[in-house]
Amino acid sequence: MGLLSKKSQQVLKDPLMSNNPIAFQVLGICSALAVTVKMDTAIVMTLAVIFVLAMSNTIISAMRNYIPGRVRIIVMLSVIASLVILTDQVLRAYAYDMSKQLSVFVGLIITNCIVLGRAEAFALQNTPGKAFWDGVGNALGYGIILIAVSFFREILGSGTLLGLQIIPQAFYNAGYENMGLMVLSPGAFIILGLIIWVQRLITKVEEEA
Amino acid sequence: MRSNSYTLGFTALVTIILGIMLSAAATSLKDRQLLNEELDIKKNILASLKIAGTSGSKASAQEVQQLFTDNIRSFVVDKDGNVVAGLSPDQIDPKTMVEVYPVYEKVLDGATSGFALPISGKGLWSSCYGYLALESDCNTVMGITFYKHGETPGLGGEIEKEWFTSNFSGKRIFDDNGGLVSIQVVKGVVNESSSDAYHQVDGISGATLTTKGLNVFIKQDLNNYLPFLKQAH
Repeated sequence: MGLLSKKSQQVLKDPLMSNNPIAFQVLGICSALAVTVKMDTAIVMTLAVIFVLAMSNTIISAMRNYIPGRVRIIVMLSVIASLVILTDQVLRAYAYDMSKQLSVFVGLIITNCIVLGRAEAFALQNTPGKAFWDGVGNALGYGIILIAVSFFREILGSGTLLGLQIIPQAFYNAGYENMGLMVLSPGAFIILGLIIWVQRLITKVEEEA
Repeated sequence: MRSNSYTLGFTALVTIILGIMLSAAATSLKDRQLLNEELDIKKNILASLKIAGTSGSKASAQEVQQLFTDNIRSFVVDKDGNVVAGLSPDQIDPKTMVEVYPVYEKVLDGATSGFALPISGKGLWSSCYGYLALESDCNTVMGITFYKHGETPGLGGEIEKEWFTSNFSGKRIFDDNGGLVSIQVVKGVVNESSSDAYHQVDGISGATLTTKGLNVFIKQDLNNYLPFLKQAH
């Protein structure tokens, strides 16, 4: 990573683990449950969020000295909403089936707390370059969890990975069954809870009781 | 604190720039999107008629077109069930032409083996669009698909899922006396011992109002085709 300064590396790496938006800040849970039944939707969602978050952070940071304080939330939201609609339109034109599967959840990136949260907490105080990396980092931190959750949910729930059969037919013949719970939202909660537990064991973070 | 006129000017500028950007994107992508939608509709017609190679698989655009031209004969019927000569389903303008109904006939080795009929109507939040396919006896349901709706994902949105739609196959829309009963989605599970079980499918928990909508509009749409179905039978 010689391309990036120490500071930018920090900005990029922090949200991947110690300050992960889902696992540490517990933001963006809604879509983490919704799009993780299959891994391909989780990957596309991750790409969409990387685009939206990196772009919105950069644009808002570039405007930060001009945005009137009283209307900053509205301005930030219009930038975010426009980027999300743009993403949705592109998906509809070039990946129609995927956009149908993701249905409203692409549109709901607008309400993903991570996006507005980073705009307010980071982009407004930092230069566009750093804000860009912060956006990429947070979106990746979000995406890693999404892909991890979908990995377990797809293997356990459907026996497949990216649509390919992973659990051999012989297992099913021997009485193995897909775990229906994993296809439903509670399955995502359980996986997510376990991931957060492991993540906190590693980073040694403790909630105050 | 900035002045009011600065704030107004700034928000107006942002709105205009974003507006232009979005309309440019929407206009330039529109053709491709429409093409995708049209293709998706064709895929759904094929899937409702159980034409192999389309359900769930990622068939290319050409393959879908090919399957469609090879297997489907489309025509339009009027409210008396007679075929309207010289009119294809694509030419129907829903604003000006009423009481004409498109039919997609599945032709297998020169013989009719089923009809797909468009169905649409209100679910709970939105209009739902789909196709109901009947066997050549015009009574037994071959399949059903939904390609467009705005119901809640995971609840009403489940109507497009295979576990729900596959229950329709083999059900009958007419009773023994030839009266139209359509298909009812029941609350909970169908009582198999009941004499109505032939006309009922299992409901979706959390989607009672959506399926109530389905019950109404499927029957209404079938009613429009009633003269045609009696003739074809």
